[in-house]
Amino acid sequence: MTGGRNIPDDLCPIATDFTQALTGDWRALRPVIDRDRCVKCATCWLYCPVQCMVERPSWFDADLNYCKGCGICATECPHRAITMVEEGEG
Amino acid sequence: MTAFATITFRPERCDGCGKCMTACATVKQGASRIDIVPGSRAGAFEMAMCRQCGEPKCQMVCPAGALAKDAASGVIAWDSTRCVDCLLCTAGCAYGGIAVDPATARVAKCDQCGGNPACVEVCPTGALQWNAAADIFNDYGGKEDLFVPGLAGCQGCNSELLMRHIMRKVGRNAVLATPPGCIPGMGSVGYNGKTGTKVPVFHPLLTNTAAMLAGIRRTYDRAGRKDIVVMALAGDGGTADCGFHAVSGAAERNEKILYICVDNEGYMNTGMQRSGTTPYGSWTSTTPVGEAMRGKSQDAKNLPMVMMAHRCAYVATASSAHMEDLYAKLERAIAASFTGFAYLHIYSPCPTGWRLPSSQVMEACRRAVASNFVTLWEYTREDGLSFTYSPDRPIPVRDYVSMLGKYRHLDEGQLEHIQARVDDQMALLRRMAGEQQAKEGDGQGR
Repeated sequence: MTGGRNIPDDLCPIATDFTQALTGDWRALRPVIDRDRCVKCATCWLYCPVQCMVERPSWFDADLNYCKGCGICATECPHRAITMVEEGEG
Repeated sequence: MTAFATITFRPERCDGCGKCMTACATVKQGASRIDIVPGSRAGAFEMAMCRQCGEPKCQMVCPAGALAKDAASGVIAWDSTRCVDCLLCTAGCAYGGIAVDPATARVAKCDQCGGNPACVEVCPTGALQWNAAADIFNDYGGKEDLFVPGLAGCQGCNSELLMRHIMRKVGRNAVLATPPGCIPGMGSVGYNGKTGTKVPVFHPLLTNTAAMLAGIRRTYDRAGRKDIVVMALAGDGGTADCGFHAVSGAAERNEKILYICVDNEGYMNTGMQRSGTTPYGSWTSTTPVGEAMRGKSQDAKNLPMVMMAHRCAYVATASSAHMEDLYAKLERAIAASFTGFAYLHIYSPCPTGWRLPSSQVMEACRRAVASNFVTLWEYTREDGLSFTYSPDRPIPVRDYVSMLGKYRHLDEGQLEHIQARVDDQMALLRRMAGEQQAKEGDGQGR
């Protein structure tokens, strides 16, 4: 209930700030992208539930602040450019 | 920036028939640019073809500048006038994607046939496919994700995927209602005075979502704001059960709202209780598996068909297995929501509640559609019901349910029941779609 930005305080509870949760904390497996294999087809982006795939000039990267490690990108990648590795390993 | 469509190969589907190579050789009038070769395991096959790499090694080693990646299509094009026939590219490519064509004694490589590859066209098993995920990325990747990045959906949550794509398509000019369920549970309405959505969002009761939206729409109409999409992202419980009277009433009054039901076949947010859309045989926490009960003993309510009977302005079903279909239906549903009640029913596997590994969610989506367990169709008052996709050769429903832990206990009789129900439902939908076509045929004859 911040009430800022010309919103009357007595209208109803209105939030104008965003929640911030780093869901990457949950991850047990981490996607590792092999840039050589990636053809930038955007399949990982299309199916990532968190929508954390970030576009780079010639490949996609996962934003590890939010990636929950579900493994869908690695399963769906048509060129097998993504592997899931256990967190804590290299 | 741009993403690029790609030809994909699923070795588990390839039977080595070689039709792709024949088709390629015919179209290109030379050696086939695609090579299917026996794999390391007996009976398995592997494919060698240009992958149109993001950072192509062939291009890097070419001393003559004869190979260049096209910025629009991503295809690595070979310029015959520049090529000096040194063959360095054939050594540079680790994928066997560029080789000498004996017919011309020069190198040759795949050019994706300009976006309609002959090899994919003729592949009888679906081992070769044209993957056009890039088209959706190129159209919508630049649009803002209207939810905060850190939503607390379970790993692999299909509903989270759907809601992010849906709001990308809808855009900022929307008011969103998310009744109790997984969607506010993962933080759409936020907590501690903060919000999880970048458009106005509210949390109605489980029972009154559609009624409340109707009031919002009328208020906006009165204020002259007729450009706002007034919409709900609700679960199956809030739509088919607890909220049904409000949904049905709003549809009957033809309120101008967009109502989207994300159907994960149960009350997953509160601990996986059964709902009206839970399918027969499913384990849930209220339809347990034991001596007296073997999962749910009733069939699911087909809610989109119930909504069709309301003669809504638009009714459609969708699945994230067919994203381009989902986006096309969203476009029509948004437009219809300015003229009357638009209803979209989207199948959404729940890895947690269905006992499914999170990485397998998209495969479950695909098999559900491939087996006709989930049907993809749309309805308008003018054109009636029509399928937007249906598999030519549906797989047995067994291949779908065997993926899901919630069906682990099924016996043969229960499996037969589910298959019969799927067949029966498909036959009914076909009749409805077919009768409409027959009527159109009559009209033309007169």
